[in-house]
Amino acid sequence: MGYLNTFKSSSWRKAMLMALLALGLVGFADAQVKVRGKVTDKTGSEPLIGVNILEKNTGNGTITDLDGNYEVTVSGPEAVLVFSYTGYASIEETLGNRSVIDLALDESAQMLEQIVVVGYGTQRKQDLTGAVSTVKGDDLAKLPTASVQQALQGKMAGVQVVTASGRPGDGAVVRIRGVGTLNDARPLYVVDGLIVDDINFLNSNDIENINVLKDASATAIYGARGANGVVLVSTKRGKIGQASRISFSTYQGFQEVAKTIELTNATEYATLTNEIIQNEVGGAPTFPDPASLGEGTDWQKEIYQVAPIQNYNIAFSGATEKMSYSISGDYFDQEGILEGSRYRRLTVRANNEYNVKSALRIGHNIAFINTKETTVPDVTGNTYRADPTVVGFVDGVYGNTSIRSSVGNPLAQLFYENDNLRNGVRLLGNVYADLTVLKHFTFRSSFGINVYREDFESFSPTFVVSAQQQRLVNGLTISRAESTNWLWENTVTFQKEWGDNLNLTVLGGVTSQNDDSDFFGASVQGLQYENEALRFINFSELDSRNVFNGASSWSILSYLFRVNTTLFQKYLLTASFRADGSSRFGKNNRYGYFPSFSLGWRITEEAFMENQNLFSTLKLRAGWGQTGNDRIGNYESAAVIATGLWGVFGTGENLQTGALPLTLSNPDLQWESTTQSNIGLEMGFFKNKLTAEIDYYNRTTEDILWRVPIPLYIGLEAPPLINAAQVSNKGIDLALTWRDNKGAFGYRASLVGSSIDNEVLRLSNGEEQFFAGGLGLGGQLGTITRAGLPVGSFYGYEVIGIFQNEGDLANFAKEGSEKPGDLIFKDQNDDGIITDKDRIVLGNSIPDYTFGFSVGADWKGFDLSVDFTGQAGNEIINSKKMARFNTPNFERGYLDRWIGEGTSNTEPRVTNSGHNYQFSSRFVEDGSFLALRNLQLSYSLPQSVLQKIRLTSLRVFVAGTNLKMWTKYTGYTPEIVNESGFESGIDRAVYPISKVYTFGLNASF
Amino acid sequence: MKQFLSKIILSGILVVAATSCNEDFLQKEPLNLLTDEAFFQTPEQAIEATNAVYNMLRRWEVHVFSYVGMTDIVSDDSDKGSTPTDANFLLEIDNLTYSAGNLAMAAVWNGYYRGIYRANTAIERIPAIEMDEALKARLIGECQFLRAYYYFNMVRWFGDLPLITKPLLPSEFEQLRKPQAEVYAQIIADLEAAAAALPETYPAAEVGRATKGAANGLLARVYLTLGDSQKTEQYATAVINSGKYALYPNYAKLFTPEGENSAETVFEVQTTSDPQGLGGSQYNEVQGVRGTPNLGWGFNRPSDNLVAAFEGTDPRREATILYVGEVLPDGSAVVEDSPEIINERFNQKAWAPQPINGNNGWGGGNIRILRYADVLLMAAEAMNENGKPQDALTLVNQVRARARGANPFILPNITVTDKDLLRQRIWQERRVELAMEQHRWFDLKRQGRLAPVMQAAGKAFVAGKHELFPIPQEEIDLSNGLLTQNPLY
Repeated sequence: MGYLNTFKSSSWRKAMLMALLALGLVGFADAQVKVRGKVTDKTGSEPLIGVNILEKNTGNGTITDLDGNYEVTVSGPEAVLVFSYTGYASIEETLGNRSVIDLALDESAQMLEQIVVVGYGTQRKQDLTGAVSTVKGDDLAKLPTASVQQALQGKMAGVQVVTASGRPGDGAVVRIRGVGTLNDARPLYVVDGLIVDDINFLNSNDIENINVLKDASATAIYGARGANGVVLVSTKRGKIGQASRISFSTYQGFQEVAKTIELTNATEYATLTNEIIQNEVGGAPTFPDPASLGEGTDWQKEIYQVAPIQNYNIAFSGATEKMSYSISGDYFDQEGILEGSRYRRLTVRANNEYNVKSALRIGHNIAFINTKETTVPDVTGNTYRADPTVVGFVDGVYGNTSIRSSVGNPLAQLFYENDNLRNGVRLLGNVYADLTVLKHFTFRSSFGINVYREDFESFSPTFVVSAQQQRLVNGLTISRAESTNWLWENTVTFQKEWGDNLNLTVLGGVTSQNDDSDFFGASVQGLQYENEALRFINFSELDSRNVFNGASSWSILSYLFRVNTTLFQKYLLTASFRADGSSRFGKNNRYGYFPSFSLGWRITEEAFMENQNLFSTLKLRAGWGQTGNDRIGNYESAAVIATGLWGVFGTGENLQTGALPLTLSNPDLQWESTTQSNIGLEMGFFKNKLTAEIDYYNRTTEDILWRVPIPLYIGLEAPPLINAAQVSNKGIDLALTWRDNKGAFGYRASLVGSSIDNEVLRLSNGEEQFFAGGLGLGGQLGTITRAGLPVGSFYGYEVIGIFQNEGDLANFAKEGSEKPGDLIFKDQNDDGIITDKDRIVLGNSIPDYTFGFSVGADWKGFDLSVDFTGQAGNEIINSKKMARFNTPNFERGYLDRWIGEGTSNTEPRVTNSGHNYQFSSRFVEDGSFLALRNLQLSYSLPQSVLQKIRLTSLRVFVAGTNLKMWTKYTGYTPEIVNESGFESGIDRAVYPISKVYTFGLNASF
Repeated sequence: MKQFLSKIILSGILVVAATSCNEDFLQKEPLNLLTDEAFFQTPEQAIEATNAVYNMLRRWEVHVFSYVGMTDIVSDDSDKGSTPTDANFLLEIDNLTYSAGNLAMAAVWNGYYRGIYRANTAIERIPAIEMDEALKARLIGECQFLRAYYYFNMVRWFGDLPLITKPLLPSEFEQLRKPQAEVYAQIIADLEAAAAALPETYPAAEVGRATKGAANGLLARVYLTLGDSQKTEQYATAVINSGKYALYPNYAKLFTPEGENSAETVFEVQTTSDPQGLGGSQYNEVQGVRGTPNLGWGFNRPSDNLVAAFEGTDPRREATILYVGEVLPDGSAVVEDSPEIINERFNQKAWAPQPINGNNGWGGGNIRILRYADVLLMAAEAMNENGKPQDALTLVNQVRARARGANPFILPNITVTDKDLLRQRIWQERRVELAMEQHRWFDLKRQGRLAPVMQAAGKAFVAGKHELFPIPQEEIDLSNGLLTQNPLY
């Protein structure tokens, strides 16, 4: 989509035209002065090829050659040379008495000239009327992160990237402008025009740039799928005029758990356990002599290992006049901090483009990806709970952790249950043709596919650790899943300029997408042989075999239309409209319609701004649009019969099929729709050394689709999906960038920040409020959604102290059987007794502010960059602490417990359940944090050395990720991501994030 | 040239149009999913729907952990068992310190209402199916029996209940608690209809389905609970006079696989330990011998109080309780000592052999709900109330005789005819005969003796509060406060 449209942008088109002209003109230009020089990038080491050099107000010019050199003959010393290059600002140099002009073009200060991919086309950043953030691929590739998303962390205002887990191969969770839809709030990912669910499979080295569409005026062109924002990824391709080039990069590193949870040691555990026996059970203490147990087992130390991570990438790119190519191979290998877990990914990509005729260009972006993933059980919860008085693995025997902590020995789990291999093969790409006709019309047809096949094999051997942790019969599961997704897009673009007065681009198109998936598998209990070579279903009893399969399908058909105009280079207008039909919605509500309008005003272009020099750029833009969210199951409007509700009858104990509908249909199911307004101001000061971009947005999501929990007496297995609520998100996105240099010393700083103000406007079903979010062992609902509150606010009792003595028991309201040492809940309604009416809002999971801060400096090839990210104003429910089925290990905070009058007024006497485990402010923690996300030092060899070793560039680096986090939160990470916004911020035991240390090099020749 | 280009544009537009005209493109039939429209069409589907109502009986929420907690563990017959702090929510139940947030109440509330929903759906939808009318009536009768069973336990636990007798539409989701009397009226109506529709017996392949005897027997228990001794006698006698039932000769064997679906069985939950765990239940596992050799969890430990309740050398004590050092009922192993359990004892009646696939959670021991001895004792109790002590004695002594087995020196016949004294003897006989079969709490409750008996057993029973369990707080929240809480919670 975007590649051809690049040529709509006038500067680029002119540049190309001039370049071609220049080639022909060089021979007979009639002029007096010869000028030559070399144009490089900012570092001075990288020659820029094909830079357009034009003598102002003449047709006279040239382009730089493969080494960045140029020579041009101009009219005289008064001549003004204009150097222009795609993505860089034009620089004007008056010749004077010089005969050599060497230039280093600085790309980053010139954001406004940038070409931005906006979906079904591109625009110059200066012409944008919507809120779009951009990150260049080079910046991503520099960071050795497992997933592309992680590298986006803290880089863009309004784009929150959460590293929710350190599991190998796990991507990060991306939220654009908060949680708008409460269902599945992932943004839409579009890779080279192909709409995909996720981008975990991409390798950062392949990425040219990422553009994130944030406001509805930008996302509305994606209609029913645009409500959560759109992440547009463009992969690298050869550039016409670019020399062929081979680049190689690699990094090696290791990971370790970033932060452990403070837990009690064996002596402390035994002491607390004895107190519980005394407080709750009675009888003899479990541990007669706690001190004799010493430190015991530190399960986190036993479980988390230091794990290697590595990456290799090689890429070939270049172009001739007739074609451009970019071919790359990448291998990524990450082991997990849980022994046995590993993720490997091989990516091969070919992005080529061919000029078949002057009006016809065809191309393809094809990637083949193979992933191999070995998974282990998520033992993080059991590690948190395991009894520290029990040994891990000693003398060939695993300790029995089931007795008191009621969890399996996590070491044994990792050892016995690690035989799970997932092998995925993906073919992803598109083939397109651009045909330019009648000068102004471009017809583009693009056909893309995303075919994925996954083989899964899991073997569970027999073992006995203890009575509660054993498997007496082995098991084998083998399954295969396939999905085929195709997307066919046909667009026509009309583009015409009428001098400087009017620039008009009109886009129309039809797209259709279809997805078919199916799976087939078999499992068996009791395989005759455990030998790997005989692990086949065949070697099992017939009646222990189970076969399963299934399939699913969806389709979407869309019509899109957009018009962009620029009047007098100052006034910008964009309007778009998309109609989407989705197979997921019932016949009556199948189509959704999504319009948008936006305006821009480039104030610095006005005559009255000519005499000021404060602003180098000043632009105001405003937009409004509607988008939708179709992320519901494929067949949600139907009531499905549950089979497998087996009955047992007969003297022979025979299974008989049982089946019944266990859910309700909802024929009235409607599109969830989002309306967003946005006002933005873009400013550049001091020749754009300082740039600032501020956006205010107001987003209202109506008819949010969710399974609102319903009373259990209704008896349905799952609540019906309904259009539940209307929620508003308001806030400000701010991005500030400063970049300057003092001679050879360059420095830069940037700040991105966002505020989010989330509020439920009303509930759709007429209810006043609803509860959700099962806490602890599951029986308690801890979130409330009610008009006027942030969605899914935490709702429980407010702790105001501890009953110190019998006197306190008489003086304060009680729930019932409280004893001295128990928590005092505030009697909010002053009725003298603690009931469910005394619960209040205790916080919410949505941060008020998120921010990223980066500083960097470079000097003679050295470059240091430091990135921080953070958030403030959110709370977390430490739900794992509430879940005490038996006597699992304790967080160290328990040691401050009440053990007699005056000993504590915050931490109650030790118990496992009851009053003190009612959901209260005891379990609500501050989730604010500041993280040192990335620290990187690199050195690029100077040109003089490079020439000797015949390299174009060589850069070596060391980097650290997640090095330090400042937070009050006691868990592994304060960035908790739950499925739904209605019950978010609940830490039920998350997989810890990793610190990553890497070193590597990038070379090209 | 221009014409040529126009043609290209035109054909491009045609391509575009071709895609758009295809309305079928957006019509996706649910794959691999049977939808509601295609169900409740055939006799087979009527049977499948009925089977799905039975399916709930084996579930965790209905007859396993919380069920055992809210019947046996809460009573004076048993303690929580397992290690001291294992399953703290059951410890709260044992100690009567639970509040509305306790997991057990939420679990049974959820499970039983899911069972009721399934019964309601089958009862509402089966009538429209064109099929053999006799079979149709039987299937509806089975569902009515099950619905009554689910409501009966619920009303005894919670008192007033939302009374739902058909699948609710979203507009009907808001329900209030209805007085117990209305719930009982519905239970009786369902059971009477079931008794009329159900056969006395089934062919071998269908054994385990609700029978006329099961419906009558449950009616007897309902009326006994309501204190109607005439109706109790009437329905219990109907079961006795049907001639389909007899006491199983060997009391201890009755609770082993051999005793399943014996002549003594009036209704029991059918389970099977199949290789894939489709027909099992965790009823056996949670109460099984903790650790080796049974790999159970060891909950529901028979209490000292119960041990002392057995007369002299009543062999039923040994048949009810498994001790350390005792050989398992199938002779496969000896119960080993688990040092982490204090005062180790297990419910032998819930013991089942190791499931054939080794997965202990897929237990195949049937759950005894109603057996003939219970019917005899209900009849005896009612007859005593109705002034027929001799008839009562005959029946209660049948139960004692079977317990006595071949040993003539124990458990002599009861001869007392004083109404109050005989009532006490029958109640005592019920306690030991039906011990650890989840009857004790409900018996004490209907006998109005919960407070004195529980307090005598040293439990913190508060009269006027603990007769009912609290409505789960989760449910009160989910109903947005429409459901009211029971007194003193």
